[in-house]
Amino acid sequence: MAASSTTAKTESGPGRLSRKGGAPPARGARPGRRRREFTTRRGLLIAAFMAPAAVFVAVFTYYPMIAGSQMAFRNWKLTDLTDTSWVGWKNFREVFADPAWGTVLANTGLWVGGSIVPQLVIGFALALWLRRRFRFRGLYQALVFFPWAISGFLIGILFRWMFNSEFGVVNDLLQKAGLIDQPIAWLADPDKAMIAVLVANTWYGVTFFAIMILAALQSIPDELYEAAALDGAGKVRTLFSITIPYIRTTLALTVLLRVIWIFNFPDLIFGMTGGGPNNETHIVTTWMIRITQQGDYGQASAIGLLVVAGLLLFATFFLLATREKREVKP
Amino acid sequence: MIGKETTAGRTARFTFLGIWLVFTVFPLYWITVTSLKAPGDIFRFPIDYWPEHFSVENYTGLFSKADFGVYLTNSLIVATVAGAVATAISMLSAYVLARFEFRTKSALLMAALVTQMIPSFIALGPLYLLMTDLRLVDNRLGLMLVYIAVCIPFCTVMLRGFFENIPDALEEAAMIDGLSRFGALFRVLLPVMRPGIVAAFIFNFVNCWNELFLSVTLMNSDANKTVPTALNGFISSFNIDWGSMSAAAVLTILPTMLLFAFASRHIVQGLTSGAVKG
Amino acid sequence: MKRRTAALALGTAAALVLTGCSTMNPSSSGGTVTLNMVESLTNPARTDLLKGLIADFEKQNPKIKVNLISPPTEQADQKIQQMLQSGTGVDTLEVRDTTVGPWSNNGWLYDMKKDLTGWKGWEAMTENAVKAAQDTEGKTYFIPYGFYGLSLFYRTDLIEKAGFSEPPATWEDLLKQASAIQDPAKRQYGYAFRGGANANGNAAAIIEAYVADDVDPANGFKLKDGKTIFSAPGALDAMETYLELFKKASPKSSVSWGYPEMVEGFSNGSTAFLLQDPEVIATVSESKSITKDQWNTAPLVAGPSGKTVQALATAGWGVAKGSKNKPEAVKLVEFLSQGEASTTFTKKNSLVPILKSANEDPFYKTGPWSSYVTMTENPEKYLVVTQPRGVSWWTEWQQKADADVQKMILGKLTPEKLLAGWDTYWTEKWK
Repeated sequence: MAASSTTAKTESGPGRLSRKGGAPPARGARPGRRRREFTTRRGLLIAAFMAPAAVFVAVFTYYPMIAGSQMAFRNWKLTDLTDTSWVGWKNFREVFADPAWGTVLANTGLWVGGSIVPQLVIGFALALWLRRRFRFRGLYQALVFFPWAISGFLIGILFRWMFNSEFGVVNDLLQKAGLIDQPIAWLADPDKAMIAVLVANTWYGVTFFAIMILAALQSIPDELYEAAALDGAGKVRTLFSITIPYIRTTLALTVLLRVIWIFNFPDLIFGMTGGGPNNETHIVTTWMIRITQQGDYGQASAIGLLVVAGLLLFATFFLLATREKREVKP
Repeated sequence: MIGKETTAGRTARFTFLGIWLVFTVFPLYWITVTSLKAPGDIFRFPIDYWPEHFSVENYTGLFSKADFGVYLTNSLIVATVAGAVATAISMLSAYVLARFEFRTKSALLMAALVTQMIPSFIALGPLYLLMTDLRLVDNRLGLMLVYIAVCIPFCTVMLRGFFENIPDALEEAAMIDGLSRFGALFRVLLPVMRPGIVAAFIFNFVNCWNELFLSVTLMNSDANKTVPTALNGFISSFNIDWGSMSAAAVLTILPTMLLFAFASRHIVQGLTSGAVKG
Repeated sequence: MKRRTAALALGTAAALVLTGCSTMNPSSSGGTVTLNMVESLTNPARTDLLKGLIADFEKQNPKIKVNLISPPTEQADQKIQQMLQSGTGVDTLEVRDTTVGPWSNNGWLYDMKKDLTGWKGWEAMTENAVKAAQDTEGKTYFIPYGFYGLSLFYRTDLIEKAGFSEPPATWEDLLKQASAIQDPAKRQYGYAFRGGANANGNAAAIIEAYVADDVDPANGFKLKDGKTIFSAPGALDAMETYLELFKKASPKSSVSWGYPEMVEGFSNGSTAFLLQDPEVIATVSESKSITKDQWNTAPLVAGPSGKTVQALATAGWGVAKGSKNKPEAVKLVEFLSQGEASTTFTKKNSLVPILKSANEDPFYKTGPWSSYVTMTENPEKYLVVTQPRGVSWWTEWQQKADADVQKMILGKLTPEKLLAGWDTYWTEKWK
């Protein structure tokens, strides 16, 4: 009962409306909606409503991307544009031939995995614990959700200052707590820089999971929990047999979206370490920036295409793997 | 979930929430303290956890040495307009995607997902040339147009979730009452969807407010720069002046943070039983 | 219903256009010409200085307006390239010795030779400046606004406290003094090491100092016998000393220090020595942590032979080929390269001046500036050498060398291997 307070209080929240009848909302509302017969009127309406969005995305996102892609197959170096001839897969070969590429790929894996796991776990825990109402919950939410409102670049700068090895507050606190004797050169030590960067990204990214999961949790009808309680299910069992199955779709899609976003998130690293030291915090997208700054647009575009291809592959695989489970009704 | 909570559970819960609160708020506290120290005191050792001499010099410097007020205004205009227009456009597309079945629908949704996968750096060069042809380089309108395009895909998917939660019956009843589909959309659905729309707008606003690489590429003159570009300029020019940086950071964070704070309940509520549902 | 849809679309479009119109740039009209001028080595103080000079120019030329564009330093060259490639939006621009090669090669720069024949400004310029204003084919793509050269910034109070009466004259002295001052527990460090962006520059400086006797004046990376400087035995001593300097006398975080961090490290009082260009004098003078009597500059430290190599770097103003207002753009270049404007710019921005008149100027004989005069007056000890900065692979070299220096100080590459790699690199390129 307490759990649905936020939505129940409002007279016209979508959550409340959809709860009529107690069935899972998204699917419950669907039958009877479709009128499949083709009418010009209907076609025009769809086209007219889709047009503005389609035009914007086509002109300002897809066109530049496609125009940029062809550079991947050309000798396109800003240092010498006198010969921009077609070179086939040469740029791609050069990407793979770079001795640092292996490190960059490994770092990317670490960056995505090391960010998504703590973000998901802490975000989930936060959402579970925030579901129950307590005094000052609104204030608490306002205070812990704000990191999402800050730019990645600025977060990088902020944590770069805190992790500064000489005057940084992190070392000072750790020393005061007696956990370390000597200040640690966080961002100058190839083995520790990634840790610092991951701490920063976790700080930033938990919010998105917490918000999404909290919203999904609040959509779970209380009756389900009441039924589980009547069955005598314990906390852990309720979590795994009711909560997680019910919000599985949200979880899966949030994870997918976050993996894509984190992958494409050079901003934080760019502001914090610039990819150093010794390339140990370079991920694919910061590496692409570096190559761009060298003026080799051909190779940078090749990396860009590899990113899109890799993420497409991942998304397809991920959607296929989670599809069956999504069909299962809780 | 519901039901009685044990004392131990309660303690554990509040301990976790407390630790997370400290962890989240501390960086903000630290940047604020740094910004309020007298410039000479920032590099004192041992470190002061509270400014010994309070000083607003770092802040006044931002407005006297740099046109920080101009950057703030630019960001505010660009993010507000782009965020609002993107929300409006996305509502139309989201409505169609939620209410109709048609052949290209799944392709459109996939196309929206793919936009999230494109690293912005691949498109910067051609985008610059395109904007040059449109005479929209170094122009706030140009940046707005690009930001609208950036916001639309996620915003559409998010709003589509909200529409799906609203039973057809509501607008059908309205249409029987004589309203057109458009009228139904505006008079009946909009009020119901208000929290969702607020949430969508805030996500858009925050994205535009924080965007760095496109802004660096498309804006040239000082009069048109946005805050992230200016911050990037601070850091790369000559010395990293941590005092000014911190002050600028506090001023940059403040608007979006307040927006989030005031609207955090709306956001959760708006997303409840909606958003990322397939 | 269709009409309503159309109305909404129109409304959205109208709203966009309206907001757009109010933000549109004022285009040139009424006979005035607006020049876009782009700087590359941007910093706030310098931007203000340029704005002042531009105001004077506009006063002298009421029909010309100048719109100064100041992209953040890190992205500046990339940004300028983008603008140049688009063919519009740039009239006058900052060109550097490192960028002039590729940009002129791409046909982006305008050869000002003809416009400047008979220009009286040439006579007032130093020999070095006139030479730098022409490329190997005699084309004038930019006129230098000044020269950058290294000198040693040091803390007078700290060396005194550590028991030294004189600033270091050689790299060995520097290592000794910096190690003596280093005290990490008190957050006091000896040397502001450059391990990050452009680490190659200072590494090359120490190697050149150690082989000063044999270096080819026309190519700072070549010995007189045609081999690379990296193959000389002195180079190994140099790199070993350099590595010691990092290990014993530098803050750990300097592994990733580039220009801003080094300058900050010196101006916040935490490091005692800094090897930098004269333009830093202006920045350090504004420091809130150290006062003017706590620091000074000394001539560039020397190798074992007592000699050292001063590699002059330069940058200047040029005109874009795509400019539609070339006469006005050239006029602005002329204005910045002569008389009061040039003197003000080099003084306030602390550069080695391009005008002969500076030799008599008392400004350059005092304080931090005197070490530059010492260096210019003793060319036999401070050899002026040209580095191969104009070659098309210079950027590639910098990135490779930066990475190698960082690997070396992180203990992942020995000085021997580093030098062998550099020797191979340049030998291959010169084939």
